[in-house]
Amino acid sequence: MLSNDKLVLALPKGRILEEVMPLVSRAGIEPEAAFADEESRKLRFATNYPDLDIVRVRSFDVATFIAFGAAHFGVSGQDVLMEFDSTEIYAPIDLNIGHCRIMVAEPADMAPEDNPQRWSHIRVATKYPEITRRHFAARGVQAECIKLNGAMEIAPSMGLCSRIVDLVSTGSTLKANGLVEVEEIAKITSRLAVNRTALKTRSEEMTHWIERFREAVDAVAA
Amino acid sequence: MNENTHRGLLPAGLADILPPEAEHEARVTERLMASFSKYGYERVKPPLVEFEDILLSGSGAATSTQTFRMMDPISQRMLGVRADMTLQIARIASTRLSDVARPIRLSYAGQVLRVKGSDLRPKRQFGQIGAELIGSNSPQADAEVVLMAAEALTELGVPNLSVDLGLPTLVPAICEALNIDQSTDGASLKTALNQKDAPAIASLGENLGGRANELFSGLLNCVGPADNALKALHKIDLPEEAAGELEKLSAVIACLRERSPDLTITIDPVETRGYEYHTGVTFTFFALDVRGEIGRGGRYLADDANGDSRGGSSDETATGVSLFIDSILRALPEPAPQKRVYVATASAEVAQNLRLEGWAVVEQFAADTPADDPLESAKNAACTHLWDGSEVIPVTDT
Repeated sequence: MLSNDKLVLALPKGRILEEVMPLVSRAGIEPEAAFADEESRKLRFATNYPDLDIVRVRSFDVATFIAFGAAHFGVSGQDVLMEFDSTEIYAPIDLNIGHCRIMVAEPADMAPEDNPQRWSHIRVATKYPEITRRHFAARGVQAECIKLNGAMEIAPSMGLCSRIVDLVSTGSTLKANGLVEVEEIAKITSRLAVNRTALKTRSEEMTHWIERFREAVDAVAA
Repeated sequence: MNENTHRGLLPAGLADILPPEAEHEARVTERLMASFSKYGYERVKPPLVEFEDILLSGSGAATSTQTFRMMDPISQRMLGVRADMTLQIARIASTRLSDVARPIRLSYAGQVLRVKGSDLRPKRQFGQIGAELIGSNSPQADAEVVLMAAEALTELGVPNLSVDLGLPTLVPAICEALNIDQSTDGASLKTALNQKDAPAIASLGENLGGRANELFSGLLNCVGPADNALKALHKIDLPEEAAGELEKLSAVIACLRERSPDLTITIDPVETRGYEYHTGVTFTFFALDVRGEIGRGGRYLADDANGDSRGGSSDETATGVSLFIDSILRALPEPAPQKRVYVATASAEVAQNLRLEGWAVVEQFAADTPADDPLESAKNAACTHLWDGSEVIPVTDT
């Protein structure tokens, strides 16, 4: 059973793309020249496979595109997949790139006096309200989340709230803003994410690409 | 603030269905019901609302978070609005129809209401059409329900249908055999298996021991087209009880293959999501290039809590299918527009004869001021044709 529709691979824009592209090319996929051209206004790109296209979208949107079946597979941070918690996304491969952690952090001068066991309600600035709520609910704490899209680290010093939940890779941004790590919620890497319906209805094609990516990851690790 | 609400605004996830979709939906529903009827399924019609404690007892507990509640001013008891009709049918079978010979075949079509939509189905109210086969443990019963639904959908014109078979009892059976605590490690395992999260399974497997690691990582490679996946599954050295579960799946696949060799079958032995109350082989229908599920179903216990003194039989095994009308409509081509003829000036007899010929006839009332051009009036009345005084002529869009 072959579909008339092309398969669509969704890749995240920005910093992580540099780490993703070596894997994509090891998997045998070469996007058209415009893909590497920063000036190009195109969003959808042809590849060396006539039945495979690439779209380049914001990292949060990769999960949305895959969840709704607009893209069949893609590369997404585990943080985004956790935040979406979609029943329609499978995450079969750890691409072993984009390593970081989701952390709870608070001002360094507050930390010594603070006993997390006493919390019943906290206010948190975060890009990940769902992850944050779930994490704290699991230990009996009600988290009131203030959704920010960036620069979480300045929220405590601006009096928005005392605590933040954010991605941390080296910890230098936290330190520069007078924050310390209180708790780790999860370790994060980028995943190959696959749309559920695509895997069920186009299982041979999808399995083929999943295997290519698995080989690419193994080859890099070797 | 509410005073400014536009009169057309409906609560999230609710919609008015307009012509021609409403008509199309009704026709599709009736055709599916007619297909079920050919297999001897008889239609029942439970109420919209039931006592909450009965609606949500036993297997119904799985729909608890999706159920709207209200207080019944008469009985002063809590009521629940059905979020799923399957267990209402099971209740009918085990109470009012408990003396009917088994197996019993019942079908239904109705609207359900859910507290929250899902990613792919933001609707909170939608039509559910289904059939339940209650009181037979045979793999043929599972196969009958799958084949009947596949046939009904194919006849309706759903292209490139495929069915994904599941076995949500397999992972719990393995956990049991390996003494894995179902509420802690087992729950993490299920999440990881549902997401096909191989790295998470590998790291959980490390903690749970070599045998668990080998089994669960192995199972993850048994997802896909049925023939290969089943072969791979049989190569895995499963604990005894889990192997018994696998035999049930193999038996159902054998029945399906025998009756319908062309049906596209995939299997996913590790998916348990959405099968919270199921006790055996489950299935989900997909159509190529249609997002989301067309329908789903599987084996469950028809009566595992309302039995005993409250009137009803004891546990009874059943299997059934639920089809989702909104997904089916997405999978179908647009319906051909209904032939409507506009009759401006003619006797009642002309109109009636056209109706007898099968036309939908829209008559112009003498008191209404007609548009200058009768063709224009016909178009305004959404008619495809016009009675020009002697014959029916098409209204062309030029």
